[in-house]
Amino acid sequence: MFGWNGKIAKVYLTEKKTETVSLDEEFLTNYLGGRGLGVKFVYDLVKPGIDPLSSENILAFAAGPLTGTSCPTSGRYATVSKSPLTGSIFDSNSGGNFGPELKFAGFDGLVVLGKAEEPVYIEIHNGKISIKDARHLWGKNTREVNRELSKFGRVACIGKAGEKGVRFANIMNDYTHTCGRGGLGAVMGSKNLKAIVVKGNKKISISDRERYKKYFQDITRLLVASPVSSKGLSEYGTAVLVNLTNYMRILPTGNFRFSRFDFAEEISGEKINSVFPIKKTPCYACPIACKREVRNTEIEVPEYETISMFGSSCRISNIQTIMRANRLCNEYGIDTITTGSTIACYAELKGEELTDEKLLELVELIGERKGIGQELCEGSMRFARANKNPDISMQVKGLELPGYDPRGVLGLALGYATSNRGGCHLRAYMIGPEIFGKPKLVNRLTFSGKSGLVQVIQNLFTAVDSLVVCKFALFSVGEEEWANILSAVTGIEFVSESLLEIGERIWNIERLFNLTEKFSNKDDTLPERFFQEDGGVEGRNIKKDEFRASLLEYYRFRGWDREGIPTKEKLAQLNIQL
Amino acid sequence: MWREISKFGKKMVQCGLTHSHFGNISVRVGNKLIITRSGSMLDEIDENMVVELDLDKPGSFDTIASSEAIVHRHIYKETSALAITHAHSPFATVQSMVSSKNILIPTDCESKYFLHEIPIIIGGVGSKELAQNAANALKDHKGAIIKGHGPIAMGKIVEEAFVTICSIEHACKVKYFADLLLQRKE
Repeated sequence: MFGWNGKIAKVYLTEKKTETVSLDEEFLTNYLGGRGLGVKFVYDLVKPGIDPLSSENILAFAAGPLTGTSCPTSGRYATVSKSPLTGSIFDSNSGGNFGPELKFAGFDGLVVLGKAEEPVYIEIHNGKISIKDARHLWGKNTREVNRELSKFGRVACIGKAGEKGVRFANIMNDYTHTCGRGGLGAVMGSKNLKAIVVKGNKKISISDRERYKKYFQDITRLLVASPVSSKGLSEYGTAVLVNLTNYMRILPTGNFRFSRFDFAEEISGEKINSVFPIKKTPCYACPIACKREVRNTEIEVPEYETISMFGSSCRISNIQTIMRANRLCNEYGIDTITTGSTIACYAELKGEELTDEKLLELVELIGERKGIGQELCEGSMRFARANKNPDISMQVKGLELPGYDPRGVLGLALGYATSNRGGCHLRAYMIGPEIFGKPKLVNRLTFSGKSGLVQVIQNLFTAVDSLVVCKFALFSVGEEEWANILSAVTGIEFVSESLLEIGERIWNIERLFNLTEKFSNKDDTLPERFFQEDGGVEGRNIKKDEFRASLLEYYRFRGWDREGIPTKEKLAQLNIQL
Repeated sequence: MWREISKFGKKMVQCGLTHSHFGNISVRVGNKLIITRSGSMLDEIDENMVVELDLDKPGSFDTIASSEAIVHRHIYKETSALAITHAHSPFATVQSMVSSKNILIPTDCESKYFLHEIPIIIGGVGSKELAQNAANALKDHKGAIIKGHGPIAMGKIVEEAFVTICSIEHACKVKYFADLLLQRKE
């Protein structure tokens, strides 16, 4: 088998047992890897209605067929489980070096089941799987755990927040790389699993090296030619977006009450570059290198989403404070978007102007699950509901919205509403066409034409999350190039359409999982604020009838009925067994 | 200012100098330049389809500007240009591809008088090499042709740069047919 290793590790923590399971080529061709593999495992193994923080939940880690090759941006892996924050199926992927190392260690993935009696970590070394005592690591934060275990291999771990069941706790790998958002770190903590360490020296076999070389060069050339990947992201990281979104009036400000922040310049990519000496810290095989830290320190430069949530949404204009908040989140292992958004929700509820000190204190209380942090660590939806003001939680399906006000990017608004994991920009990153003009500039202030575009981009992104490559590469590289290089690596012929169909299959399985968890078309919506308020731009509130029409059109494009349920014909077409 | 860009964007497409999605136009205003956005259609430019960039240092707004913004910036910094147009007109592109020299001499009377000669320059899309070559060529010429790509021209106003693009295309078209007939005659 080329590209894949053709096997996964299964670890039964309750029974203290491990197992190696082979995967056949047909199965891998249908689900690829990463998100696709993880979703299939969770769909097959997790019973409906279980508590995500119980031993009945599973946690899947999966790399893809391109992971571990030199293919640009292919150093990623995915984690998938049932989310304790949303109750939906939830995938999250991360860069760094952990994913490739999992492949070098001989596996395409790892599925963790049950719950250990005492804290443990899993070590995978050249095909050998061991469960090891982690009592000495319990109570420690992520950097310390990484430092302690990195002598044995590449590390993915949780901090105190994961141990304490913070509903948006992350899994952190290679110190600062994050499987974020849906609280899969809390799932890991609920299993008494502190870390996973992988190491190996297996080479990934490539079917046709000559073809691979040609497509590798094609992809590299496209990445270099695009100003977004070769200049914007490379020069400023994702913080390049701050001034842009502020200018376009889509920068969430004061918990999405406004769309423009007067002090955006102070927290922008330009400001960061002018104040701090920057060192790029690229992921494995990534020429874009958007990940950065302050030179001669271990202080990471925050991503755009983090800046928008702790900065404009919490009305904090001190970039150093935002960097400290980011650092605290990474240490505790908590999601910066949900943390920032929940704090912004708290500030609105209390009618409080946050100071820098107060912001940092709240982050720490969430990480420690102490004081008011015990309420905030449930996420903004539960916090706002408990305080009888559910409309001030800026979430979809329980997941807090990221740094783009949907009133000014209507394709993204539809993307938020229909995302299987809740309020997320990365299921269909409509910022590409609606802001950057990649692959083609479209009018961001209309729903016209968006339903078809959103579902195609969702399918493409799902496939890309299964290869696993970085979504930022999609500013420059299309499905044709990915299909070509995948064919060269695996020796199996893929074309653009087959990649999109794989994405569609996985998307529909996610939808089916959510429907069994009592989600319905009523959850495919946005916070009421966006329909009622204009965010400071006259007339920009979203018109409900237009939104509804676009949603129905989206269901029709998907081959679903008017209730948003996949039809039997669609499932048969995608070869999905109920 | 976007209205001026919009007016000549429409004209460039209507005249067949470029297809809707290709080419770009910019104007210099003090130490800023206003340029068409990446992915915009030249015959449908409105105020949202242009972006203002700092002339002295690239910034985050460069990511949504035409990928040739680096070339425009370099020309403004090294010449007296206040407006730039760039098209993908077919005859100029063809002539640049078949010419073995780095200068094209117009054969018709008007173009000889107006342009004298047209430099042919090289460089990849949005590359530093192209930026430098274009700036060098436009120091002492009204316009140039990027080999296999299309003409680029400067002026004090957009209309002047537009006229130069028209002249280059006209010169190349006349030369193309003249060369063809001469070859047949021989």
